[in-house]
Amino acid sequence: MLDLYRGSMRLSILENFQYRVANYFYMIGMIAEPVIYLVVWSTVARAQGGSVGGYTPGEFAAYYIVWTLVRNMNIVLTPYAWEFRIQRGRLSGELMRPVHPAHFDLAFFVGWKFVVIIMWLPIAALLILFFQPTLDPTPGGAIGFFIALWGGFLVRFFLLWALGLITFWTTRVSALFELYFTVELLFSGRLVPLSLMPGWAQQLAGWLPFKWAFGFPIETALGRLTSQEIVTGLGMQAVWTLAGLAIVSVVWRAAIRRFSAVGN
Amino acid sequence: MSLIRLAWAFFRIGAMNDLQYRVNFFVQVFQSGLALATGLVGLSLVFDHTSTLGGWTRYELLAVMGVHILMGGLIRTAIQPNMERLMADVQEGTLDYALTKPADSQTLVSVREVRIWQSVDIVMGSIILIFAVAQIQTGVGIGQALAFASALLLGALMIYCFWLMLTTGAFWVIRMENIIELFQGVYQAGRWPVGVYPDWLRTGLTFLVPVAFAVTVPAEAVTSRLTPNTLLGAALLAALLMALTRFVWRRGLRRYSGASA
Amino acid sequence: MPEREPGLKAAIRSLVRRKTREIKAVDRISFDVAPGEVVGFLGPNGAGKTTTLKMLSGLLYPTSGQVRVLGHIPSRRERGFLQQITLVMGNRNQLSWDLPALDSFELNRAVYRIPPVDFRRTRDELIDLLDLTDLVRKPVRNLSLGERMKTEFAGALLHRPRVLFLDEPTIGLDVTMQRRLRAFVAEYNRRTGATVLLTSHYMADVVALCKRVIVIHHGHMLYDGDLSGLSDQFAAYKTIGVTLEDASASLDAYGEVVGREDGKVMLRVPKTESSRVAARLLNDLTVNDLTIEDPPIEDVIERVFAQEAPKEDAS
Repeated sequence: MLDLYRGSMRLSILENFQYRVANYFYMIGMIAEPVIYLVVWSTVARAQGGSVGGYTPGEFAAYYIVWTLVRNMNIVLTPYAWEFRIQRGRLSGELMRPVHPAHFDLAFFVGWKFVVIIMWLPIAALLILFFQPTLDPTPGGAIGFFIALWGGFLVRFFLLWALGLITFWTTRVSALFELYFTVELLFSGRLVPLSLMPGWAQQLAGWLPFKWAFGFPIETALGRLTSQEIVTGLGMQAVWTLAGLAIVSVVWRAAIRRFSAVGN
Repeated sequence: MSLIRLAWAFFRIGAMNDLQYRVNFFVQVFQSGLALATGLVGLSLVFDHTSTLGGWTRYELLAVMGVHILMGGLIRTAIQPNMERLMADVQEGTLDYALTKPADSQTLVSVREVRIWQSVDIVMGSIILIFAVAQIQTGVGIGQALAFASALLLGALMIYCFWLMLTTGAFWVIRMENIIELFQGVYQAGRWPVGVYPDWLRTGLTFLVPVAFAVTVPAEAVTSRLTPNTLLGAALLAALLMALTRFVWRRGLRRYSGASA
Repeated sequence: MPEREPGLKAAIRSLVRRKTREIKAVDRISFDVAPGEVVGFLGPNGAGKTTTLKMLSGLLYPTSGQVRVLGHIPSRRERGFLQQITLVMGNRNQLSWDLPALDSFELNRAVYRIPPVDFRRTRDELIDLLDLTDLVRKPVRNLSLGERMKTEFAGALLHRPRVLFLDEPTIGLDVTMQRRLRAFVAEYNRRTGATVLLTSHYMADVVALCKRVIVIHHGHMLYDGDLSGLSDQFAAYKTIGVTLEDASASLDAYGEVVGREDGKVMLRVPKTESSRVAARLLNDLTVNDLTIEDPPIEDVIERVFAQEAPKEDAS
């Protein structure tokens, strides 16, 4: 199993290195989003006398620059991939293998993340140059951030892997996926730092899994959380990862049954 | 002109065929609705904490959002589908078919495709725009309307030029798929008036990716901010870009056909 | 074209340097084609046939030399030129995937500016000739590979071109459909007098359609002329099949034994010797059956393709 991971990861690293241009295009296109949020909120903060919602422009810059790393890390297998896989007809072959297909996906993405981190560094340097963030991490925060980064990846990986399996039952899935992504956008800390949302929204966000893959890792890096909060947060990540794993194993079995019954 | 007749033929047939798939209409409405909701949430969050942004009031910003959605719909209806097909053609070698047809190749690859259901956004953006403008002022003068229409057209032309020049890059660097994502990311910046951004970014959004001319300038037309100079500048820039695009396209073709450069 | 060795270290190195190699796709090929001829370009993959065709249709600029088709220089891509030619590439579709073929035909009509009456007549003729009546209303993606190819042909001929460039048109199709399309092309050439230039690596395409064959290999023209002359040049032998009373007799003295089948021995002998060897066999042995055959054209082609590329410096 370890060999499988090592081999798949290595392949993934090679492949993604080869497609570095495509990767860079994607990453650059993706930073537009946080830069826009950053600029807008910095403008608001300056208009409101220096800070808004507990964030100064410099802190917004820090938030959204860390955002870019967290975002790159929590990009996982898109639920739309399943439509592709089922239609392509290769699924039958892959099901014959004695290993759960999620392992291959996981290994592939983990390998990819290493390339992503390396490619992110120059982008981050440029962003820091241009937007001058104020960042004050604590050592506990830094360690916590590193763990939370991967934790966020795992949470999102399993949840979206499970979500994609709905494709086995219906191909009209785009409405559901887009709804999921919209809710995630609003309640994860992706659109704005959660402290800027109305109170009821922040409470709701605590119950949903989204913030643990996004806002929580970012806030850990910014040094805004107490050690206790960090530990609790990591715990929540673990909880949601396990929940994701559970959902995946249950739904996967049902999906295979469905697939074998209906054929491709 | 015969090129317009050609474009119309492609539009008519493409649209008629798309219209058969009525389910896609509802899917599009739903997705546009979600995007609109997100935009409105973003806007209201900002205005929970402030009353103007860079000198623009709440309804003025709503007007900007309306233009942004409208223009986005226009791009996804008429421009993006053609560019995607061009990219695919270059990769799969089917561009040869377009090049052996007795029609101007640039025109042909620019008008072949249409996604009629994306025009839901054109309608929705227009509604938002009209609503927002109604909150700001009581009527729209004919001059203002003309200025708006021209600004919109010029902005669309510039976006087309930008897209085509970028896609022509496929003749040199075959894999260009992520252009789409790159553009979509940068285009999001048009949700807000470009004056909000720092200077260097504003310049980029004006001259590098003409988002400013696509969204902010038309919005300025309906919020009494547009100066004749800006509109003239837009016209000149559009003409320049069209010429440049033509040049780049022909260069790209020469490269594609192995002509010594 | 860029090259890279496999492996992670090489992948990183290639970040810094790209190696390229210049390849002469087509070298010193020269020919004339008369109107109404059906010419087959034969050669293995990568031989340069498609490159030649692309130069003739204006898609590629030759780095040296001249190309003239219908009095035009193809690479100028003049409207008058493009109006009279058509290109069909096997396994590459130009009809819109999601539209019924009829709609794509309409689009071609607009592009080629075909007058409505002519268009309808030609279209209906082609639909009839290719048995497309039921197929043209379905979206192209719902058609089988062979049906799609037929509709591609129809779409490509609506403007009654004078020159047809067909690049591997039967590739990937089943045998019945291949035959069907060959018959169609032959019929079309007969009816309209259109010139057909066809590339293929299927022998059967060429045998069925082309009186004249140009063999291209490694970018060089190895042969230009009748199909029958091909064997004279490259495979100047005949195969004698002899069935003997005494099946175990050794025939090595008479020629090269290339096969034994059910008591029948196949002997390969030089063309000039064949009648003499046959006479000796009949004289020396008790022969139950004797046949003399030309080498199968496939074998000839195999021999042609097996030739080494002429030595040249790698640049």
